[in-house]
Amino acid sequence: MISSNLVADLCFASLFIVLTLVLFQAFIHLQKQCKQPWLNPMLFSILTLIPILLFFNVTFEQYYQATFPLHKLLEPAVVALGYPLYQHLKSIKKQWRSIVLLLFFGALITIFISFIITMFVINQYDIAVSLSLKSVTTPIGIALTEQLNGNNSITAFAIILAGLFGALLGPSWLSFINVNSPKAQGLAIGAASHALGTATISKVSYEHAAYSSLALIISAVITAIFSPLIINTLVHFL
Amino acid sequence: MFAHIIYSILSVSFCLLVGKSIEFFLPILPASLYGMAIFTLLLHFRFLNAQRIKPCIEWALANMAVCFIPAGVGIINHFELIKQHGVALIAIIFFTTFLLLTLVGVGYQRRLNQDALMTNNEPSNDK
Repeated sequence: MISSNLVADLCFASLFIVLTLVLFQAFIHLQKQCKQPWLNPMLFSILTLIPILLFFNVTFEQYYQATFPLHKLLEPAVVALGYPLYQHLKSIKKQWRSIVLLLFFGALITIFISFIITMFVINQYDIAVSLSLKSVTTPIGIALTEQLNGNNSITAFAIILAGLFGALLGPSWLSFINVNSPKAQGLAIGAASHALGTATISKVSYEHAAYSSLALIISAVITAIFSPLIINTLVHFL
Repeated sequence: MFAHIIYSILSVSFCLLVGKSIEFFLPILPASLYGMAIFTLLLHFRFLNAQRIKPCIEWALANMAVCFIPAGVGIINHFELIKQHGVALIAIIFFTTFLLLTLVGVGYQRRLNQDALMTNNEPSNDK
């Protein structure tokens, strides 16, 4: 009995992993053929998978458990981002100070504004905490949410949305406001859209990847250290 | 080629493992970010051979977005939440994400433009 369950589980898991990989590769192929940047393989794979899961009555927990190996690969993938970072270390060293300062003020202002706007519009402390922490990678965001009594599922949702917005619309928005250098674009997308944005623009150029990875790591440190301070102070005044 | 693949996998795994142990003693950042920093440093100080790692990393970087699909599909668990708080939630996330993009992007582009101006002016100053 147990063994047949195990076999069924394994079949189920491999089915969904293969489905996810095939969809992703198909959309990569489609994007190459059509040469349309908005045809993001990750977004379209997600948008195709959701109706499939709903149609076959598969819950997210079942899907997530089945594709857990894929999710686990995120960790080594983030480590691999150290490579483009290494390639650009020299040019980064020269501007070390202005980069850290910029990311510091960017993160602080955004945490501050996100918290205040959410308190005014929705007026729920836990949601305000969650939305303030959306620009960092998921593990840090969730850990900080727990520390500050936010709402985990809202944080997870907000992090994904912030990632998608920056990854999909970031490059065109930045070009539109005359931010054309790959360095500046990478830094901005890494700061606002964490690893998801970094993964998406890593395909554009190594320079994008390097600066985005750098912003990812520095913003994570800054948010981890200063967000509890800002939020606890704001709670006093509101 | 096969040896290069093994070498790359071992290097990344080693960095991740070190990252995990740092996370255990100093739980400020997740293990993967510690691992990334260590990977960069090991390459920089030539403890790892960058040439051998390059092809594998290029492939990994081109395909890493697939790892985000499981988490992304998680949006289906939040349909209720979106209904409840309506557009406000999404609008706030949208606005503040673009705010941060703009702040950092414009700020750094300005800095780069200043640097470009300075280096362009240098030869003319020398004359």
